Amino acid sequence: MTKSVPQRVFSAVLITLISLSVMFPLAWMAISGFKGKTEVLRSPFQFFPDMWRWDNYSAILADPQFMRAMGVTVVGALIFTALSLTVNTLAAYAFARLEFTGKRFWWVYCLTPMFIPAMAILLTSFMVVSDLGMLDTLAVLIIPGAASAGQMFFIRQFYLGFPIAVEEAALVDGATRWQIFVRVFLPQSAAPFVVMGIASYLAYWNAYVWPVLTITDPDLTQIMQFLGNFRSDRGNDWGLLMAGSTLASLPTIGLLLIFQRFIVNGVRISGIK
Amino acid sequence: MTALDSRVAAPPDPAPDAEPRGGRRAAAARHGRDNRTAYLMIAPMVVLLGIFVFWPLANSVYLSTFKISFYQEPEFVGLDFYQYVLESPRFWESIVVGLYYAVLTVPTGIVIALLLASFIKTLSRRLASYMKVTVYLPAVVSTVVASVLFVFMYQDEGVINWMLSLLNHGPVNWLNDPSYALPAVAVPGIWLSFGVTTLILLAGLLDIPENYYESAQLDGAGFFQRLFKITIPLLKNVLLYLLVTGFTLAIQLFELPLIMTNGGPVDATTTPNLYIFNSFRDLTPYATSFSLTASLMLFVVLGAISLVIFKLVNSDKAIDG
Repeated sequence: MTKSVPQRVFSAVLITLISLSVMFPLAWMAISGFKGKTEVLRSPFQFFPDMWRWDNYSAILADPQFMRAMGVTVVGALIFTALSLTVNTLAAYAFARLEFTGKRFWWVYCLTPMFIPAMAILLTSFMVVSDLGMLDTLAVLIIPGAASAGQMFFIRQFYLGFPIAVEEAALVDGATRWQIFVRVFLPQSAAPFVVMGIASYLAYWNAYVWPVLTITDPDLTQIMQFLGNFRSDRGNDWGLLMAGSTLASLPTIGLLLIFQRFIVNGVRISGIK
Repeated sequence: MTALDSRVAAPPDPAPDAEPRGGRRAAAARHGRDNRTAYLMIAPMVVLLGIFVFWPLANSVYLSTFKISFYQEPEFVGLDFYQYVLESPRFWESIVVGLYYAVLTVPTGIVIALLLASFIKTLSRRLASYMKVTVYLPAVVSTVVASVLFVFMYQDEGVINWMLSLLNHGPVNWLNDPSYALPAVAVPGIWLSFGVTTLILLAGLLDIPENYYESAQLDGAGFFQRLFKITIPLLKNVLLYLLVTGFTLAIQLFELPLIMTNGGPVDATTTPNLYIFNSFRDLTPYATSFSLTASLMLFVVLGAISLVIFKLVNSDKAIDG
């Protein structure tokens, strides 16, 4: 498409305006982290700090609880991602490729959770994990949410598109379904695994209410829980709070930037296609 | 769900002559093996969903028929709590707040996303991928961070009131004024979610054949004519999908007001889920049973909406092409 000069200028202005307004809150968060206590909400208003100081960032990085929360959350998120991909991919393969008795029933069973709002089972889920003695363990954050109807559905859709001929050739050669799954399907699953893996990672990283309900041990405090507590304990230290929020967002923003192509295309697949 | 089911492209059984050892017995043996394999493969998911979704759900339904308090044995009361919930003005007020929030955010979000998607579509490949990542950026930010960040921006001396002061307005006490509080919560709500909406709409736009627009342009149709005569009718299914999913998600909103306002001022931002969550933590007797019942009533409403979604999404692309 060729464009006239005014059109190009118009596009450029629009791109700049949109980028600025979308990114403004994030930029403001990062900038405010560089301001001192007296500066951060000073009147008259000031956009940039008098002096860019690292105090807030270094203070929060030196806080052992913050670093611990980041570390524990990274570990939990990685295990959660691996576990949910395993559980959901196995089921996805079975539903995409195998014929078995009662398939229809289990298919509906595995998809129904998509329509159950979290709030309807929040309290009774809490009772279950408390009866199982899972409170204040990493397991309570990892296991209950691992099975995901949406993720299973997404991967199954992907497997449905695989050519059946390859699988039949392998069956004729005497391969078992497990061998086919491991040798044919898994090596070609990088794209859906990245998209769904990142979705799992984000869901774990950004979770707030469930950790607040189930974790009281300070050693296991999750990063968003830490920020929430920080806000209620020291709500007026905005510079420090913004520095902490910036640092806590960096891992997810970094993931987006690294895997942008997969994620942006993934939305298309996971939409309604 | 049955509609989804129909999309299962079951791999056809191979023709008998494809079987090396031939005959029905080999096929039957393979079916038996497949059965065992399939059950082993779905077992982890089935068990996890059973323990952490279906059992809690059944228990919620069961417990909602009991009066539970710390001091007495649970007492069966049948559907009494359902009646209490239906008669509770605060439950209905929270639903009104939820609907108001949905009205504030869903149409606005879709309009913004549609404009953005139409614009991104006109860009070159490189600029388009830059814009896609940019608009998606807020979607990876956590609700907690967004809440804290917007509370900060809404302060009296904060950046938003400063912008207003440039227009000789304000300062507005955003989060403490009942008439501004919910719109103030809606802004981060839109900011967090419009990126995904934009990308879905963009995918829909790219599916519309370019020659439709070309011939419309030849006929002298302007931007808005093309928008209303071509784009919107052809995107009908996508728009309906976004409208209804957006609506169900908006009604379930809960973390933003929990952190930003905790439901205040005077319940102006108490959405249904926040109301239910806060009654879990309420110490008055029977609050547990009450909030369980309220959450189930909401589930019924949302379940009905979800069914509508699937009917709509699968209602086939009657207008396509």
